[in-house]
Amino acid sequence: MDPAGGAASALQLLGITKSYGSVVACDAVDLAINKGEIHGLLGENGAGKSTLMKILLGLVHRDAGSIVYGGKPVEINTPQVAAALGLGMVHQHFSLIEPLRVWENVILGDVGRIDRLAACRQVEEVGLRYGLPINPMARVEQLSAGERQRVELIKCLRRDPAVLILDEPTSVLTQAESAELFSVLRRVVQEENRAVILISHKLAEITAATDRVTVLSKGRVVFQSATGDTTATELARQMVGREVSLRAEAAALGVLPVEQYRVELASAEQVESASPDRPAALRLRELEVDVGGVAVVKRLSLDVRAGEIVGLYGVEGNGQSTLGDVLSGLVQPTSGSIELGGVPVELNRPGALQRAGLGIVPEDRHRCGVVLDMSVAENLSLKALGDIGGRHLLSRRKMHAVARRLVAEFNIVAPSLDAPVRSVSGGNQQRLVVARELSANPTVLVAAQPTRGLDVAAIEDMYLRLREAASSGVAVLLISTELEEVMELCSRVAVISSGRITGVLSIVEATAERLGMLVGGMAA
Amino acid sequence: MSALAVVVAMALSALLIATTGGSPLDSLNAIIQGSVGSPAAWTTTLLNATPLLVVAAGACISSRSGIFNIGQEGQVLIGAMAATAVSLRLALVGPALLVLGMFAAAVAGGVWASLSAVMHRLRGVNIVVSTLLMTFVAQQLISYAVNTPWLLQATRIGSTAPPPESNQIPVGAQLGSIGHYPQLQLNLGLFLALVLTVVVAVAMARTRWGFELKMMGLNPLTAQHAGVRVSRLGAVALGLSGAFAGIAGAVLIASPVGNFRLQPGVSSNFGWDGLLVALVARNRPIVAVPFAVLFGILRSGGNFVAATGVPSFLVDVVKGLLVLAFVAPPALADMLQRRAATAKAARSASTRSADLEGVAA
Repeated sequence: MDPAGGAASALQLLGITKSYGSVVACDAVDLAINKGEIHGLLGENGAGKSTLMKILLGLVHRDAGSIVYGGKPVEINTPQVAAALGLGMVHQHFSLIEPLRVWENVILGDVGRIDRLAACRQVEEVGLRYGLPINPMARVEQLSAGERQRVELIKCLRRDPAVLILDEPTSVLTQAESAELFSVLRRVVQEENRAVILISHKLAEITAATDRVTVLSKGRVVFQSATGDTTATELARQMVGREVSLRAEAAALGVLPVEQYRVELASAEQVESASPDRPAALRLRELEVDVGGVAVVKRLSLDVRAGEIVGLYGVEGNGQSTLGDVLSGLVQPTSGSIELGGVPVELNRPGALQRAGLGIVPEDRHRCGVVLDMSVAENLSLKALGDIGGRHLLSRRKMHAVARRLVAEFNIVAPSLDAPVRSVSGGNQQRLVVARELSANPTVLVAAQPTRGLDVAAIEDMYLRLREAASSGVAVLLISTELEEVMELCSRVAVISSGRITGVLSIVEATAERLGMLVGGMAA
Repeated sequence: MSALAVVVAMALSALLIATTGGSPLDSLNAIIQGSVGSPAAWTTTLLNATPLLVVAAGACISSRSGIFNIGQEGQVLIGAMAATAVSLRLALVGPALLVLGMFAAAVAGGVWASLSAVMHRLRGVNIVVSTLLMTFVAQQLISYAVNTPWLLQATRIGSTAPPPESNQIPVGAQLGSIGHYPQLQLNLGLFLALVLTVVVAVAMARTRWGFELKMMGLNPLTAQHAGVRVSRLGAVALGLSGAFAGIAGAVLIASPVGNFRLQPGVSSNFGWDGLLVALVARNRPIVAVPFAVLFGILRSGGNFVAATGVPSFLVDVVKGLLVLAFVAPPALADMLQRRAATAKAARSASTRSADLEGVAA
């Protein structure tokens, strides 16, 4: 696609390809960024946006393709080269040192004598020029998210970058702060003829703030247009379309394994037989969670009934992890309640959720799912110590008996029951967590990104377990960023965006367009 | 690897002694003669090993929970002061006085350590730092107590000012010997220490509490997820380690090592060395027993080294080298293993899906 008529191209990417093992992160991506434009880059997790930008910044080396900058082909092998060429990036997660002052953060990485006055003056100058007021002597830890974003921008802009890349810049900002950021960006491109690449999955943001937009999906450019010539609906379809149609194709061609399909049908019947009058097995009511003063989960309500699998789908970083922490008992919500079987759980009591019958496969099992340096047997028992002993004493014999049973039942491969979990493969660690959670006979099972980092066999295994759990009457909540996973397993999909549920669809209603709109934070 | 490290430590020690003009063999001989060469020497060794073991058993508890209490030296002093106060002030018959003294010492040491837990809870004060600094506060407190007539200073006799120490505690409050052997005395304190150590070992290995303690030490988030009240369990562990140090202080005062009276220097590094014993034993209470005896040997034998013309502080250097020899190899092996594991994980991660890329974004 040719860059819109006549505008000087600042940067051109031609046929950029990068694969990790067998996974192609970027597949012959062509992208042209013009001077004086804000170029939106839209796509889901794993669409290849970040890899592309890392290649541009010299953090990752491409397998094929070329980069043309200012009319000349360039090799960007290191971040230093990228900086020298005038490519600057503001990352999604701030890279600021909190105890240090603003000016110290800004000059970090410079060489030579430190001149505080000059640095402060520069911060103020850049701030004035772009409308980013900030006190250079303030400590970063005392700044709001919006102010930190300003510091990141100043850090970048003071080097006069020709191309400024922003990765999900509004994920921690309030509405007002976002609006302010976009007016600053507009000034940057209009008055100084710079180019801005805005990476986002929020449709409203892309349609409101960009001049042109490129949609990436599965490492390929699937759509490119001037923003004015397209609609949010069209973009939504392009963003998730391929995956949804893929599923439909697979079903039509009979690619789905027959056995799985049967289980699925069984669980579908189960859903219908579950009476809608009964209270939901899991009910989240108006949950609000603050992390470090920022509202991460906002008035989130969701019901999961016995026997159904409900997917909570959304792009990474929209509050799913925090919700997982709440359901793991690690974080207390600021308000709202969690009810199991109609009874509110006292969340301030440790282990209350688990006693109420909630099992959870946490998103990061190493962080809070297992103790790596304890044995397989110990890890299998650690949430049910009452089962392997009395009030005070524990019986190793009983612990081993429980472990032997679960290891056999869930096909956990381990050198021995006393081997540390560290020595067991990721798939088997995940099986261990599932075994432990299901052995407690939960009424609700929460699985957060349960197949992340697993191989194909382990993924199959996980899907089977989740389906079996649902068909035996457990209410399953699947928190996932993988649309295929959600489409394959769930009977209903709730979409989370910026900590809110933007909509709940039954799987037949879940068209690419509607899901895309919801993921992008718009009502569908 | 450990054996090799110990040999290296011994060789270095020998070299050090030789360069300062002493004879390594004579020094070794002096240490052995002075510590295990005769029943009387054994008596001193075991008397020295006793408080070390009690401190070490307590240190195992807190370290196992991932909370590093390094203020045992101060907690020993506070325990010693509490035991002295009870023994001197209360008019009770022998055994009751002894038991009450021990109990008071445990409570005092525990409360002293718990102050650090409170500071951590209220203001987020680092526990390692606060337990360390509280040691210096404890030292000042003891110094004040034994210099103040209405507190614990010795009774004035005649017109001379009394020394900065307490009166001797009554015989009833002292720990006696068990059994009668020629020359050899087995102090009651040793048995107390062994019993406490076994209790700690069993509690850590066989109880639900011990399981939770270990889980908390290795992964506090998983422990919290599994329903453990992490902050409370941590405070209990810290308090218990302080109580053990306090008991060690009472044992010191009530046995000949401490001369049966409170003096500013009565703790004489028993707290620090006890902590080292736990460190060398890698928080395994039963393993701490032989190491406590080894440190006892160095303490009792060290006093005889001076007679061979070697400065006695060299014994401390030898002690330090030995600690390094025991601690460094496992720590090093651990580090290498972890590094290898991380490298392996990184390799497998790079072949993993673009999902990772999403995580990084």
